[in-house]
Amino acid sequence: MSIVIKNLTHVYSPKTPFERIALDDVTFTINDGDYFGIIGHTGSGKSTLISHLNGLIKLTKGSINVNGIDLGKKYDYKKLRSEVGMVFQYPEYQLFDETVESDVSFGPRNMGLSEDEIKDRAAWAIKLVGLNYDKIKNRSPFELSGGQMRRVALAGVLAMRPKVLVLDEPTAGLDPRGKKEILDLTLKIKEQGPTIIMISHNMDEIAAYCNRIAVLGAGKLEGVFSPSELFGQSEIIERLGLALPTPALIAKKLRDRGVSVTASDMDGLVQAVLSAKGGNYA
Amino acid sequence: MRDVSMGQYYPTKSPVHKMDARAKLVFVILYIVMLFLVPSLDNYLGGGGRLGEYMVKSGLSFGVVTLFLLVAIIFSKVPLMKVLKSVKAVVYLVIITAVIMLLFYSGKANHVYATWGIITISLEGIVSAIVMAVRLFLLVMGPALLSLTTTPVELTDGIESLLSPLKLIKIPVHDIAIIMSIALRLIPTMIEETDKITNAQKARLAEFDDGNVFKKAKAMIPVLVPLLTSSFRRADELAYAMDSRCYGGAKNRTRMRVMRLSYRDAIALVVIAAVFFAVLTFVYDYFGVATFISEWAYTLL
Repeated sequence: MSIVIKNLTHVYSPKTPFERIALDDVTFTINDGDYFGIIGHTGSGKSTLISHLNGLIKLTKGSINVNGIDLGKKYDYKKLRSEVGMVFQYPEYQLFDETVESDVSFGPRNMGLSEDEIKDRAAWAIKLVGLNYDKIKNRSPFELSGGQMRRVALAGVLAMRPKVLVLDEPTAGLDPRGKKEILDLTLKIKEQGPTIIMISHNMDEIAAYCNRIAVLGAGKLEGVFSPSELFGQSEIIERLGLALPTPALIAKKLRDRGVSVTASDMDGLVQAVLSAKGGNYA
Repeated sequence: MRDVSMGQYYPTKSPVHKMDARAKLVFVILYIVMLFLVPSLDNYLGGGGRLGEYMVKSGLSFGVVTLFLLVAIIFSKVPLMKVLKSVKAVVYLVIITAVIMLLFYSGKANHVYATWGIITISLEGIVSAIVMAVRLFLLVMGPALLSLTTTPVELTDGIESLLSPLKLIKIPVHDIAIIMSIALRLIPTMIEETDKITNAQKARLAEFDDGNVFKKAKAMIPVLVPLLTSSFRRADELAYAMDSRCYGGAKNRTRMRVMRLSYRDAIALVVIAAVFFAVLTFVYDYFGVATFISEWAYTLL
C-alpha cells in the first residue's frame, strides 16, 4: 500500500496563450505510514500534485497508483476520494451546513453509510480533533472561532476515515499556539493509521514532523530527502531560495564559526552541540 | 474553470485591440442597428414586397455585414474558432427556433411545398428561418469580438465615458461604473473561489451531475453557502481597503489610463459608415441597386 507517481506531467490551458506547465516529469513514491512533506515556492506545482491524488485533476500524462488504484484507467471515484482525504488551505471556508454534526456527516453520508455509522463516525471525528462533541454538535459552524472552524472542517474529512490524509498548509493564518495545536493533532490522527501528506511553507514544521520530504521547484522534482539529508546539507535549500528550519540555521551559523555540528530538529541540535562540547551530559 | 478566469479576453497585439474602447462600443451598437435594418419577411411581404426581392436584399445586407465581421476578425488576430465558440451558447436555441419557424410559419405563404395538419413547409418559412438564424448568429458574434479584444476594465471605462452626459441629470455615472468594474474584477475571483469550494466538497464525495434538476439544485447548496459567506467577507474587506485609502467617489479623481481616440478609430469609423451605408442602400433600394440585381437574378432563373 503506497502512492506511486511516475513521470507525472500536467499542463494548464494547453494550446492557448495561457499555457503553463505545472508539473514536469515528476516521479516518486510515498510509502505507507509516511508523514510526507512537500515543499516548494508558490506556483511550484504542489497543489496541482496533490489534486491529482484524489482525482480532482484528471491525469493527463504519466501514471499514478494510489493504494492499488490505477488512476490511468477507469476507477471508482468514490472509493478513491474516501481513501484519500483532502484538507485544502483554509478548510473552514468550506463549511456550509446548519450544525457542526451535519457538516461533519456530509462526507460519510455521501459514502452511502448507514445512519448509525454516520453518527458514530461524526462523533469519533469531532472528538478526535479535540472538540467537545456534546457541546458543539448542534451549534452552527458559522458561530465558532476560527480555530474551532478549522477543526470542524478537518473532522469533516477525517469522518470518512481516509487511509491517506492530505493537508495543504494546515497551519496557514493561525497564531503560533493554534499552529502547534493543529500539528500535534496531526500526530494524534496519524496514530489512528493514515499516511499523512503535508504541504507547508514553514520549514520548522516540515523538519519537526515529516520523515520524508519532496522538494518541488518550478514543476520539477528536486528530490525526496529525509529531514537530516535536506537540512543538513543546505545546498538544495539555498539553491531554491527556501528558508532553513531554525535548528538547522543555528547549526549552520555554528559551522560558520568553526563548530562542527549538523542538525535538522531541536533535539538533534542539542545533542550535536553537547557532543561538540565534548562533555557527557545525560 | 481555470480557462475562463481571464474572462473572454484574448490577449494579443492587434489594431483592433489598440482601438479606443468607446469607439468599439459605439461601433458595436452601430453593428447591431445594421442587423436590424433588414426587416422580417412577414413585414416585408405585408408592405407589398416580393419574396425574390427580399431574398436578394437580405442576402446582400447580411453578406456585407458578414464580410465586415470577417475583416474585423482578421485584423483582430483572434482565431476564428474563438469567435465561433461564442455562438455555442445560443446554437441550440437558434436551431430550435428556426425549426419551429420553418414548420409553423404563420405569415402569408405563396410557395407551399407540403402541409400536414398545422405543419406547413413553405419557401417563405425557410427564408425567414434562415434570416432569423443568420441575424442571431451575427448578433452574438459582433459583441463577442468586442469582449475578445477589449479588457473588462477598458469596457467599463468606455461605458462610463459614454454615459458621462447623464451626469447632467444627476445620474451617478461614476458610481455605477465603479460598481460594474468591481463586479467584473470579482468574477474571476468568484470563479476561483467556486472552483476551490467545489473541489473541497468533491473531496467529500459531493456529486454535482447526478439526478434531476431539483437534486442538482440541492447539490449546489454546499457550494453556494460558503460562496455567499465568502463574498460578504470579501466585500467588507474591499470596502475597508477602499475607505482606508480615502476613496471618495468621482470628485477630483484623475485616471491612470486616459482614453484617446486615434487614427485607427477614424479608419474604423469610415469603414463601418461605408458598411452601414451599403446595408441602407440594399434595404431601401437606393440607386435601384437591389432592384437591378433582383431583375438580373430573375432573368437568370
